[in-house]
Amino acid sequence: MNIDTTAPAAGAAPPAVGFDIAAALPGTPAPQRWPLRFVGSGSEYFRIWIVNLLLTLVTLGLYYPFAKVRRLRYFHAATEVGGHPLSFHADPWKMLRGYLLVAVMVAAYSLAGQFSPTAGGVAFLLVALLWPALWHSSMRFRMANTGWRGLRFRYTGTCTQAYKVFLMPVLGVAAIIGISLLTAIEPGVQPTGQQVLVGLLPMLLFMALFPWFFWLIKRQQHDHYALGDEQTRFEVGVRGIYGVGLRSFGLFLGALAVLVLVVALVGVGGAMLLGMGERGADTGGGAGGLISNLTGVIAGVSVFLGYLLILTLVGGYFTARLQNLVWNGTRSAHVGFSSKVSAKALGLLWLKNWVLTILTLGLYYPFASIASARMRLQAVEVLSDIAPETLVARGAALDESAAGDAAGDLFGFDVGL
Amino acid sequence: MTPAAIQARLFDGRTARAQPVRLSVQGDALRAAGEDGSGHSWPLRDLQWPETTRHGRRVIQLRGGGSIECDDAAAFDAWRSALGQRDSWVVRAQQHWRATLAALALLLGVAAAGYVWGVPWAADRVVALLPSTAEAAIGDAALDSLRNGLLGPTATPMARQAALRDSFARAVAAAYAEHERVPWQLHFHSGGKRLGANALALPGGHIVITDEMLALLQGQDDTVIGVLGHEYGHVRLRHGMRAVVRATLISAASTLALGDVSGLLAAAPAVLAHLGYSRDAEREADAEAVLMLRASGVSPAVMVLLFERLAAQPESARADSLPIALASHPADAERIAFFRAAAAGR
Repeated sequence: MNIDTTAPAAGAAPPAVGFDIAAALPGTPAPQRWPLRFVGSGSEYFRIWIVNLLLTLVTLGLYYPFAKVRRLRYFHAATEVGGHPLSFHADPWKMLRGYLLVAVMVAAYSLAGQFSPTAGGVAFLLVALLWPALWHSSMRFRMANTGWRGLRFRYTGTCTQAYKVFLMPVLGVAAIIGISLLTAIEPGVQPTGQQVLVGLLPMLLFMALFPWFFWLIKRQQHDHYALGDEQTRFEVGVRGIYGVGLRSFGLFLGALAVLVLVVALVGVGGAMLLGMGERGADTGGGAGGLISNLTGVIAGVSVFLGYLLILTLVGGYFTARLQNLVWNGTRSAHVGFSSKVSAKALGLLWLKNWVLTILTLGLYYPFASIASARMRLQAVEVLSDIAPETLVARGAALDESAAGDAAGDLFGFDVGL
Repeated sequence: MTPAAIQARLFDGRTARAQPVRLSVQGDALRAAGEDGSGHSWPLRDLQWPETTRHGRRVIQLRGGGSIECDDAAAFDAWRSALGQRDSWVVRAQQHWRATLAALALLLGVAAAGYVWGVPWAADRVVALLPSTAEAAIGDAALDSLRNGLLGPTATPMARQAALRDSFARAVAAAYAEHERVPWQLHFHSGGKRLGANALALPGGHIVITDEMLALLQGQDDTVIGVLGHEYGHVRLRHGMRAVVRATLISAASTLALGDVSGLLAAAPAVLAHLGYSRDAEREADAEAVLMLRASGVSPAVMVLLFERLAAQPESARADSLPIALASHPADAERIAFFRAAAAGR
């Protein structure tokens, strides 16, 4: 099926949709567009966030799964697709069990690393062996507990597929660690050029291959989302991911170059002032010191601001382009997506969010979260050439394992939609 | 008048078809009457009621699949409150600004209390449980890494080393009863450019004093004993391990509270906290130094000499590469006052 998403001439009929003549049964409705609407508000979420934070701190973290469920429920219920909100059904008590299990794992892993490299290595191996299973579990749990119009979504991937997907990245990381241990440079001894190269090679290789690993993961996810009879498939090639990655990296380097230039100018400017100060008077030693301190402070602040600028603008650009690429290339037999997030708008929004969050010592964070979600969600439309009423529930099994979801959180992966 | 029934849409969970229904509660069941005369009912305990939000629709989730959507949020809220149903106390707390501000204040209070009292208390309990072999292992590893970087081979003659070890052993014996003492090893190293005149203590009883410090305190062996006593205080009170455990707890708590903020921000509170705790530890170690000096019949005023000589060093010789090292500590004026007061017998 092809959905032609090029803009139609003004006043023309809706975009042509090509599909099998056999499928064009009489009475098939015209293709529908279901825009996403996000009705969450920052002030409302702020209150949820504060209460969550307080209870989590007071219970030394035990409230965390409950807090997460409240947050996800709020965000899901605030997301309306074609006028009907999403729903989130996870049972926080089940998540608590999984969460405690994963917390124990993480504690053991961190402690093992402190005691000896072998213990750390063994712990890493265990985590690597368990990770794909937990990730898979997390995907199933999250999808099975998300609903729309009374139906539940499904994740149709298998655990074996998850292991195949993560095999390469895990091997890659293990190779880096192994090689870095074997070629450990003696402290105090000047490393030869060859040694440096050997040491850096696995890291560089991993960085070069990372977009491919990322594509494998995204493909595993987007090939297996399902609702009713509709199952998505991922039509984005590896090249697309490399394209976005390389462009973002280029932007990052460009921004870094500008930052270095600015800092250098500040440094040169400060040095010139310093020179003037010294030539000024012999008794002006204090002024010279002050100027050098000031230059140092300005340089430091510039570096920090530059870092912030780069993170937010490049991060926003990357996130927007990736979202558009991934979701425009995800479609099922009758349903497609159109994502049109503006990279510039998102980058500027993230910059604004970060600046305000720092200025308010973090209190702006929930507002930032809502604003970012709104911009990203409302840029998406669902395109369907079937009526939603025709969707029928398939496979009622709800996944009981919440441990995977907890793992997704603690290791920093957000495996949500 | 609040209607006893409201208009809603039922999704039965088997298809995505919307059925217009009228909802009402009878007894302990929710009933939905369809336009075509069909009826459904569910026990109230099988329902998940929506939270009251400012925007959006109200959706009741049905256990076992399906949901009921009501577009008119105001009508739904009115209907529900007429039934005597209420949100959980958590949800109600969120809806009032005063309650939320109180929660914010409480949050800051709890966080502050945890930082000031909770974390040190928890850290001390953890350290008390740590076996001495674990501490020794950590200290050995730390010493090895320092030897590979900041500390160089010593130029102090063996005889002088032996003499210092003996006098220190006697001072320890004089100051502490058998059961109060802990094993210690005194190491001599060159501090080089990075550490200069310095002394430091590591978990497991390693005390290091640099050649530059000995040179600085030339002819003032009493002050050297005072310095060693200060470091021995760190060892005896396990300050090194307590600081490490505190830093770990702080960073764990920060990560939990800050959640998905970048790792950079999460690490900063931990680092700041670590520097803060060192000051309390230093005060305790100073008190231990006073104890040792007094037990050896020396006036604590000899420590003032140390600070004077450290301050008199040229700018280039000042070392603050290692926060746990003696010469890196701030607030010299406060500490000098402490030793003077101790010398005056207060």
